[in-house]
Amino acid sequence: MGIAVGIDLGTSNSVVATVIDGQAVVLADIEGRSVHPSVVAFGYGHAVVVGHRAKAQLAYAPENTVFSAKRLIGRRYNSDEVDRIRRMVAWGVAEGPHGDARVRVKGKVYAVPEISAHVLAHMKGIAEQATGQAVDGAVITVPAYFNDQQRQATRDAATIAGIKCLRIINEPTAAALAYGYGQGHQQHIVVYDLGGGTFDVSVLRLDGELFEVVSTAGDTFLGGDDFDGAICDHLAAQLLEQTGIDISGNHSAHTKLLEAAERAKKALSKVNAVAVKVPGLGRDAQGNAVGLQTQLDQATVQRLVMPLIQRSFSVCDEALNQAGLSPKQIDNVLLVGGMTRFPLVREAVGHYFGKAPLDHLNPDQVVAQGAAIQAFSLTAYSDQPAAVLLDVTPQTLGVRMVGGFLDPIIPRNSQIPTEMSKIFTTAHDGQEEVRIQVYQGESRVAAENELLGEFLLSGLRAAARGEVKVRVAFAIDADGIVKASAQDVESGRKVNMTLQASSNLTAVEVEELKFDELGF
Amino acid sequence: MDAQERFAVEIMTIHELLPELSYYRMLLVAPEAEQEAIGVAFRRESRRLHPDRASTLSNEAAKEKANDVFRVINEAWRVLQDPEARARYDVLLADGVLRMTDDARAGANNDKRAGDPESAVTHPKAEKYWKMALRDFNDAQYKSCVMNIQFALNFEPGNETMKEWLDKATKLRDQDESKKEKNPYKLRLM
Repeated sequence: MGIAVGIDLGTSNSVVATVIDGQAVVLADIEGRSVHPSVVAFGYGHAVVVGHRAKAQLAYAPENTVFSAKRLIGRRYNSDEVDRIRRMVAWGVAEGPHGDARVRVKGKVYAVPEISAHVLAHMKGIAEQATGQAVDGAVITVPAYFNDQQRQATRDAATIAGIKCLRIINEPTAAALAYGYGQGHQQHIVVYDLGGGTFDVSVLRLDGELFEVVSTAGDTFLGGDDFDGAICDHLAAQLLEQTGIDISGNHSAHTKLLEAAERAKKALSKVNAVAVKVPGLGRDAQGNAVGLQTQLDQATVQRLVMPLIQRSFSVCDEALNQAGLSPKQIDNVLLVGGMTRFPLVREAVGHYFGKAPLDHLNPDQVVAQGAAIQAFSLTAYSDQPAAVLLDVTPQTLGVRMVGGFLDPIIPRNSQIPTEMSKIFTTAHDGQEEVRIQVYQGESRVAAENELLGEFLLSGLRAAARGEVKVRVAFAIDADGIVKASAQDVESGRKVNMTLQASSNLTAVEVEELKFDELGF
Repeated sequence: MDAQERFAVEIMTIHELLPELSYYRMLLVAPEAEQEAIGVAFRRESRRLHPDRASTLSNEAAKEKANDVFRVINEAWRVLQDPEARARYDVLLADGVLRMTDDARAGANNDKRAGDPESAVTHPKAEKYWKMALRDFNDAQYKSCVMNIQFALNFEPGNETMKEWLDKATKLRDQDESKKEKNPYKLRLM
């Protein structure tokens, strides 16, 4: 029998952990590294390299090196978010057959779950090498704010990688689990999770082994990458001022500056000022190579990133508001995600909650540790459960009604698993089909939310309008994934229901993409 | 019988009883219990019956059923934790209604939303204007939509659905108007 692991599949980095002798342990590779870049590089003949080696390729072949793929997962090609990503990366973004966003590298188009599958397979390999045991199953974490499509796509990635996905859990919930596991806490805590690409905040009530998520809120486009971007823009402006060289549109120079920004940001976690030196950004009128030489201090960076930190607090306001709590009523604040190492962030969070956040946990590792604990409790039965998770659904699920408004069916922050139903009637005489568009999001206007798909109820009894009543039940399971079923109210007969217009891969496509035994 | 088998049997037993259980019996709490006791009961039952605990069972049917059981526990908690919803439920319960699954029954606010707005009118003349109003709404013609709803309301003055839509359409119309006023390119005739 093999082991069950927890995988933190991050935007920038991934971590794998497992429970050994009741302790959640992060597993390292042979070189002792426990944090692995979520980067997939395509080399000669589409050979695939993942992790640290892939990241090394980013500087010289950015167009073949896919990073931040998590920002694309489960997204439609035609969306503002995908437009933003396209401007950030050197590789191509293409439209898939389901209207989904895909990755184009070296003339070949990959579904995003395929890219994530390479990262998952890499993490599985690390775990197997570290423990000498096969990985039987994994709990994979996603940002709390991920919608149904994004969760489903993450599950597909696991299937493609040949990993049995035991459960998808939310990153902040996993962190809370790592913090409270076996501690018998009785308190309200907030998990402030600022990662590479996303920001999530969750309010939890801890009652011994019971971990109850009271509310959650997030911003899928706020993370360390945005901090790097803000610093990078500042550096680019300085370069323009010093040398007259404009690097907009120059991907290789932009990548160099972005890396310099990231390095400077990391260094500023420890020192007050750093020198920034980036050679070879362009050539002057005489053809001499020109670079950037400047200084960055904490005060400047603070000015650049403060608007981003403020944005995270309006999300905190929202989560606390939903929980009916004030910042003062929170007993402890947990920081998760690499960005929370940044002193400016820690300080600002301390101010907001009126207490210093906990710092005995490793923000890079807690999520994977929590996932490992959940993987353990899902695979080992015990009379006295070690941890029971009560999670919520992050976004409202509803259907479009006449007039284009969203009729909410399962409100956000409803506890899962859950099921709610709604009765639909026919609008015309003799109508035999009803089309139902399902959306997830908080806007009152249906079209401003994420379209999950369209259900077609067919084979209805032909009758006068309003006479046929169909009860459609929407269920959200413990993974946060939506299922729907329909029933004729009068006869109790199941009504045929097919999902259309989903941007996800079909089961057949997932099967075809599955890696073979060798991993590719 | 080992602990896992006992757990599987417990789940199957509760599952079989589901159609007969009120929310109070589901949470094993007295109908007259204080609000606080409901939370205590919910947490106690969550520890006992959470489907994650069933994930290692070899009995596939019990696993499935654990999910069903917990959905109902969550449903009971959702209703009973909110004093208003609980009061509405108590009224229904007195009539023998055990569950409030459909949104139509879940609350007074939801009642208005439920159903098809097209069938919200009965008077034939009101219906004519009402349909035009809904079409206007779909086409974002809020000004004409407001007018049509007002006409329809003449024939059915007490219609709550129409009033609700009138409010929505009026707000959207006013938003449109205020946008127009801010248009800096508007020509001014001297």
